[in-house]
Parts: sequence; structure tokens; C-alpha cells
Amino acid sequence: MNLQLPALAPRLDVTTQAFFRFRQVGKKVLITNYEGFWALLTPEEFERYATGTVQPGTPLHQRLTDNNFFKATYDTRKAADRLWQRRQALTQGPNLHLLIVTLRCNESCVYCHASRAGMDQVETDMSRETAERSIDLILQSPNPNLTIEFQGGEPLVAFDVVKHAIAYANEKNKTAGKQLEFTMVTNMSLMDEEKLEYLLANRVQLCTSVDGPEHLHDGQRKLPGASAHMAATKWIKRINQAYADRGLDPTLYRVEALLTTTRDSLPLWKEIVDTYVDLGCRALFLRPVDPFGWVDKTARRVEYPREDFLEYYRNAVDYMVELNLKGVQVLERYAAIFLSKFFGNDPNFLDLRSPAGAGIGCLAFNYDGKVFTCDEGRMLHEMGDSSFLLGNVTGSSFKDIVSHPTVRSMVLASNLDGQPDCINCTYNPYCGTQSTHNHKKFGSVFGRARESTICAVHKGIQDYLFERISTDDPKVLDIFQKWTTSRPRTHFLQPPTA
Amino acid sequence: MNHTITTQLSNGTATFSVDPSLYPLDALYGAAYIFIDRCFVFLDKDEAGRVVVSLSPKKGPADEPTLQSWAGEFGNELLSCAWRHQISAQNRQVLEQVTSLALAGAMGPPSLDDLSNFDFSSQPLEDPLGIAMSWEEKYKKKTPAAAAGTPAVAAPEAVKP
Ligand code: SF4
Repeated sequence: MNLQLPALAPRLDVTTQAFFRFRQVGKKVLITNYEGFWALLTPEEFERYATGTVQPGTPLHQRLTDNNFFKATYDTRKAADRLWQRRQALTQGPNLHLLIVTLRCNESCVYCHASRAGMDQVETDMSRETAERSIDLILQSPNPNLTIEFQGGEPLVAFDVVKHAIAYANEKNKTAGKQLEFTMVTNMSLMDEEKLEYLLANRVQLCTSVDGPEHLHDGQRKLPGASAHMAATKWIKRINQAYADRGLDPTLYRVEALLTTTRDSLPLWKEIVDTYVDLGCRALFLRPVDPFGWVDKTARRVEYPREDFLEYYRNAVDYMVELNLKGVQVLERYAAIFLSKFFGNDPNFLDLRSPAGAGIGCLAFNYDGKVFTCDEGRMLHEMGDSSFLLGNVTGSSFKDIVSHPTVRSMVLASNLDGQPDCINCTYNPYCGTQSTHNHKKFGSVFGRARESTICAVHKGIQDYLFERISTDDPKVLDIFQKWTTSRPRTHFLQPPTA
Repeated sequence: MNHTITTQLSNGTATFSVDPSLYPLDALYGAAYIFIDRCFVFLDKDEAGRVVVSLSPKKGPADEPTLQSWAGEFGNELLSCAWRHQISAQNRQVLEQVTSLALAGAMGPPSLDDLSNFDFSSQPLEDPLGIAMSWEEKYKKKTPAAAAGTPAVAAPEAVKP
């Protein structure tokens, strides 16, 4: 089916419809409005809508009325509520604060995002004073909920700094009174029972990398003298068991794992999903490679056309849906984020919102006290481009940092209502762009959506999801609804300290 | 055929001429600026009033595919800037509102430190029309001495009995 717009043109009547955008998705036509309501129409239904001939009293008329697609019955209050659901996070200030406690790492990865340093480069460890000054700034964020994420390099290399930062933050929070969470992104290879005991006792949520089956993971993540895959998977199982032993709900409390999709991953979509399921993980985040860190240098080895990524994505998610139909609970994170947005429950994922979260939703504190808009901005700095540097923990106030002209430009540039292409795109209410990516790829924070790999991935994933929704298969819809359910992990909140 | 952008690749330089009636000057500057880390960018005007853009390599000669790709990318960026220029003007209000909301949200309300740093010593705004005065202050009966100093702009009927 192809939309025959030219044939429709003489009969178009644009007096009855409220503002809408449209796109052909599978055999249906998707329409969305400014605030984010949507409807999937057959070509005949779309023709009736476009020509102003939908009969009042029909189910189609009711459906379109319910979703605010007619001018005469447009419910401004309903539109404002939906829009506010999406925008309210903008008013709260930075919630996610990355603390780069060291650049040192004992693994080397083909796509390394972190611009790692060798294990002997102790000068890239964060000092205790820098950690303290960073936390002083973090606690000044107006957001009542703060997450401090320890990153590297490999944060377990600088475990003393991590421990000092946790103790200092908890102490200072007695006056600040924030709801505080700690997370750590680690490759696990330097984990031991003592460190684990400390992390569990201090409710630090753990996240690691698993790229898929052992041969794939070890091929792209080199751990001298050992298998990086074995190190990660051994500790995932051990930690999940420790959560269960502490009486925590095993369906909710598990190690989170992330993967980076390289060219070698593409044919292995089934093995990747199976690896996660076998490890007891309930979520995969199928992320493509991005142009930061080492990927630039190794692009020829790891990069691929985004059509290939989308085919891999469709195969993997189709397979996950099949597994769910057999009772295995596993979800894909990109899908869960977009579906939550479609169903009106925006999860405020910082890279997928308009404006994006860099500077206003998150900040990155480098080991040397430099503060960046986001981790990608920090990585660009390590690659020699300091465009996203906002200040320093010793000389800048919190307000100087978040009101920095670079933050302002990024807020403007990542607002999809100001972007060519996005302004007319059916997916505008659910999508987001990344200024750092645009800057790296196009030389300007605005970028050009139509040539952007981020846009290609976002569009492709949303096309896929709406195509699956458009088949009206109640079992698939039920699975998709379940993927949007978010249960808070309250155990990871630091106990009140006042 | 009269192209809006015509490209010449000569002497290791890509040269285009752009019809300024199709592209706002701001868009041209915006597009040209993103090339300055890759090449030297020169803007000029020819006799017909078209803007002439030259892109030449910073180091060593550039081959033809590179020059061609600069020229093509310039055209794409120029269109993108021109369209964004138009969208920004049309959506100015919503863009400004969302940006203010986000920045104000990120900064939070003024703190006691902000207030203690505020300069209260400066003179109050001049208020010749008495807009900032209370009704009682502005229209109260004046003593003869005070009435003599009533500024000429005060509403005369208000001071009559
Ligand atoms: S980034 Fe692409 S998919 Fe997203 S709104 Fe813009 S044009 Fe649409």
C-alpha cells in the first residue's frame, strides 16, 4: 500500500482537523498531534480524515475525538496535561551526575567510549578533594532526586575514591536532604568479596557490559591474561544471588548489563539475546556504536550502515517478543522507552527527549575537576575538543555551570520544534537528538537530522514498533504494555540521614 | 540552466556562487562557519550580486572528491540553516519559553547566597509617573509646602479637593 496523496489533493479539506503529522507505517497511516496522541488508520480511514468526511457517531470519529484530532472538539486541558507530562522534568534540574573517578582501565575495548588510560597512569585518578568539591556542587542541584554514577576508566581501579565520595556525599546530604542514589558502571574484573560487601551494604546499584556470547565479548573487550566475559558473568550471577539472599525481589533487583553493537554483533542477534536470558538478565539495551572514544580510530572495524543495525534490531526484538510469548520475561530498553512515550508515560530518558538532558538533566565531573555537559562532551575533551567544558569544581558555581552559554545553545539546538525535518516528523513528540553527536558529525550542535545516524536509528525503531502495534495482535500489545511498566527500585535509595 | 548554486573545482579550490534572494545572509554565515575547521572559507560578491563562496584546503592540495564533498555538504548545510532560520522565526515563542523553563529549572530558585550577593545599594529606578507608588502615597492630600514641589506630571485632578 502506498499513500496516494496527489490523488487525494483535490479533495483535501483542512478545516476540520486539529494540527497533525502523518506517516505511512506498514499497511496503515500513523497520525500524531503536537502533544503526542496518536492513531493508526487504514488508508480509507485516513482518506476520510484528510477529506473531512468522517461521520460523527462512528467509531472512527470517536477514536479521533478521544485523541484530540478534531478542531471542533479539541480539548486544550487534555493537551496541556499530556504536554506537561513530557515537559515537567525540564523544571527540575540535573538529576544524573557522572563522577569519573579515574581514566585508568584494565580492559581495552575496540569501541572504548571512555578514552581510557593505562593502569600506570595514576595521575588520572580523581583526588579526594576533587571528589568532595564535585559532590558539593552536585548537592546544589535543585532536583530533589540525585543519582551519582561512578564511571571510569574502570571505577574499581580507584575504589578508595569511590568509598570516600560515598561517605562524603552521605555526610553532606544530612543537610542537603536529597533522595540520593549511587550507581557504578564496572567491567567487574577487579571485583572481590570485600568490595562487593561494601557496595551491597551501601546500596550501590551495579551495571556492567556484556556484549553477547563469550567469543564476541572477548573479541572486542580485551582483559590481559583472562576472559573479560567470564569475569563479568561470574560476578553478575554472584551479585544476583546476593540480592536474593538479602530478600530482595529477584524480578526487580538484578545487575543491569549494557551492550555496544559492533559490526561483529549484527549476525549474532539470537546468541546475544540468549546470552542475556541465560544470565538471568531481564533487559537488553541494543545500542549502536557512537562516534566517540576510540570508535573514530577503529571505525573500519566496528562501524556499519544503520539499515544493517535496524535489521539486527528487528530480528532481536521479534525474537524477544517470541520468548515473551513463551513466558520468558526479557525486554529491549529502546523499545520500552519509546513505548512508554507512545502510551503517555514519558520516562525522561535524557538522550531521548526534547530538549535533551545534557547540562540541564545531567553533568559529568571529570577526574581532574573539569565539568562537562555530559559524558560524550567529556569524551570529546579527551579527544582534544573542549567545546562542552562548562567549568571547574574549584572555580565555578553550580549556577555558572548550568547557565553556561554552551548549555543554552544545546537546549535550543536539541529542541525538535526548532529543527528542520523534526518539525514535520510524525515522531517529533517522542524523539530526541544529541548535540554532542551533531557537533562531532556535522560541526554544529544542530546537525542535520536527515543525514544523522541517530535519526535513522530512532526513526527505524519507531517505525518497527508502530508496525507491530498496527497488526493489533492482543498478545503483542499486552507484552508491549508490560514493557512500559516501571517499578521503582527503592532499595537503592540511600536511607534518610537527617 | 540557471543553478542556484554553481560549483567550480579549480586550483584546488571549490567555488560556488549562491543566489542571495533564496538564502538569508544569516544562513550563509551559519553554513560557512561550520567549515572553518576543515578549510579556509572566503565570502565575496560578484557583479551580478551573487554571493561567491570559496573553500580551499588549509594544508596541501585537496583532491577532487574532497572538494566535491565540501561543496555538496555546504549546499546541504546551507539549506538546513535557511530552513532552521525560518522555523526559529516562526516558533520563536515556544522555543524561548521551553529554553527559559529548562534553564530556570536547572538553576533552581535564588539561594540565600544569591540574595546576599545582590547589590541593594544601587538607586531605585526612576519613576516619574509614580507607577511604583501606592495609591495613598500618590494621591494623598499634600501640605501646601509639599504641593509646591508636586511634579508637573502628577495627575492634576487627583490633588483637587
Ligand atoms: S530525529 Fe529523526 S526520527 Fe526523530 S523527530 Fe527528528 S526527524 Fe524524526
